[in-house]
Amino acid sequence: MRKTFSIISLGIILLVVGAVSSCQKTPPSSTEPRLVVLSPEVAEIIAALGAEDQIVGLTQECDFPPQLSKIKKVGNFGLVDREAVIALKPDMIFTSSLEHDALAQEFSKLGYTVHQIYPRSVRDISHAVTHIGEKIGRVAEANSLARELEGKIEELRRRSEGKPRPRVYMEIYRDPLMSVSDASYVGDLIETAGGNNVFDVLERDYCRIDAEDVVAAKPDIIICYSQETLQTILNRKGWQDIPAIRNKRVYFEKDINPDWMQRATPRAILGMERLRELLDTF
Amino acid sequence: MPRRLIYPLIILALGVAVVVAYLFSGAPDANVIVNIRLPRLILTLYTGMVLAAVGSVYQLMLANPLAEPYILGVSSGSAFGAILTGVLGLTLLMPVGGFLGAGITLLVVWSLARRKGSFDRSRLLIAGVIAGMFFSAGISLLMYLFQKDSMVILGTLMGNLGHVFTFREWNFFLGLLAISLLLMIWLYFKSTALDILSGGDIYAGSVGIDVPALRKKVFIVSSLLIGITVSFAGIIGFVGLIIPHIVRFFIPSGQKRIYLYSLLSGGVFLLLCDLIAKNIAVIELPVGVITAAVGCPFFMWLMLRK
Repeated sequence: MRKTFSIISLGIILLVVGAVSSCQKTPPSSTEPRLVVLSPEVAEIIAALGAEDQIVGLTQECDFPPQLSKIKKVGNFGLVDREAVIALKPDMIFTSSLEHDALAQEFSKLGYTVHQIYPRSVRDISHAVTHIGEKIGRVAEANSLARELEGKIEELRRRSEGKPRPRVYMEIYRDPLMSVSDASYVGDLIETAGGNNVFDVLERDYCRIDAEDVVAAKPDIIICYSQETLQTILNRKGWQDIPAIRNKRVYFEKDINPDWMQRATPRAILGMERLRELLDTF
Repeated sequence: MPRRLIYPLIILALGVAVVVAYLFSGAPDANVIVNIRLPRLILTLYTGMVLAAVGSVYQLMLANPLAEPYILGVSSGSAFGAILTGVLGLTLLMPVGGFLGAGITLLVVWSLARRKGSFDRSRLLIAGVIAGMFFSAGISLLMYLFQKDSMVILGTLMGNLGHVFTFREWNFFLGLLAISLLLMIWLYFKSTALDILSGGDIYAGSVGIDVPALRKKVFIVSSLLIGITVSFAGIIGFVGLIIPHIVRFFIPSGQKRIYLYSLLSGGVFLLLCDLIAKNIAVIELPVGVITAAVGCPFFMWLMLRK
């Protein structure tokens, strides 16, 4: 009886040990870490460092550069399939912040190395680049890219020195109306390119605003990412005295690629250059 | 002063004060007053009036003190329609989506509530609650699938009176407003019949009221009104439940007067709540939060006093 009990106990212990060991992450087969990237910004930066081959899993929104489309998807930005991430046996998981905070904590608890990257200003892009470069073993490429970005940002700043700073209103939602503050990444990008964001201080980085405050702010340029059309925005009640409406200076997705404006990646330079072109016409 | 004049005078004085503060606080220019504040004021007044008036009608017609304008599912259907249109990228068509959602729910509830030509109270209530639950589940699914559009979804679910009108939308809204006013007048003239109906279906039938037909007509008219408000202002809770009860504290019986005072009190109350929502914090709060925060303590105080 005692012998039978010992054999069963041994069997159970072996089963548990086997199950636990099979749950452990397997070491990387090569020296390059396997990466799961949940943030489109990080995916773009990793690709810019020439390390997209290290990425084994992405979210749907990671759509640039186009070669990332071949990589396995693990859900979308707000709805990540945790099992799919774990099944890919990543050495590192890159997330964004805010919406991803809870997710990052979950993966950390499971023993994964998680890096949260959330640039809050244009200057933060080069910091993010060097940080990511260090983590994935591309230090030289990262330093070179960061220097290049800083040079271009400095050049843009110089270009806007002494020039008029037209007032810019960025609309990110229509119902309710929402815009960006200077404390947000997008607000900082507008200011860096030489524009004057009309909502410099708001309660939150991306915040609900009142229509009458837009009318009072008299923006010279409206950048509209709220799925409006030119016809409807020109015909808003009470907006007729706004200089941007009067002069039809309203720009949409087709005029400035939203990813250039909203993603903190090397392509932000393209966004700022495009915005600078528009501002130079004043 | 006669006691029966006290309540209307309070409402009138409060109404004038709130309208003045609503339109002129912060010394805006004429353009802002006429083109931005006035449309919002009209939308808010209208929404409050419809919610409270329909609330008073439903509480009587369904013989249920907990009945409110959203109980028959039309609001969930309308919100589902508006949100679905919004998350599909057609934000400009959200009011149309909301209206279609209300229409579809109306048809579903209507066909569920009918049995061999009859249109009884319990079936209507159950059909409404079931349809409401179904569309609420649909909204939850949309929230889960389209998390990036959370502002559009929350704007509809928590009430958003800051709708930015284009000229064409405004004219469309004014057309709907004119139709709504006629429907509200029609509901007013059904008050006596509803009063009789509250005495029981058999009694109402014996005095010559076609009970199923009356219920059907009132249901359709009130659903249209609710559909229009949800399409433009989202779902705003508590007004339709609490205002008719507050009015009944002062006017215990007589649906005609209860309806009329619910209508006026609802409009003024929502205007007051929106004024608070706009000004109490640096960021504008959802008006649905204020209606609950203001309405519930006041209601509790009334319950304790009377």
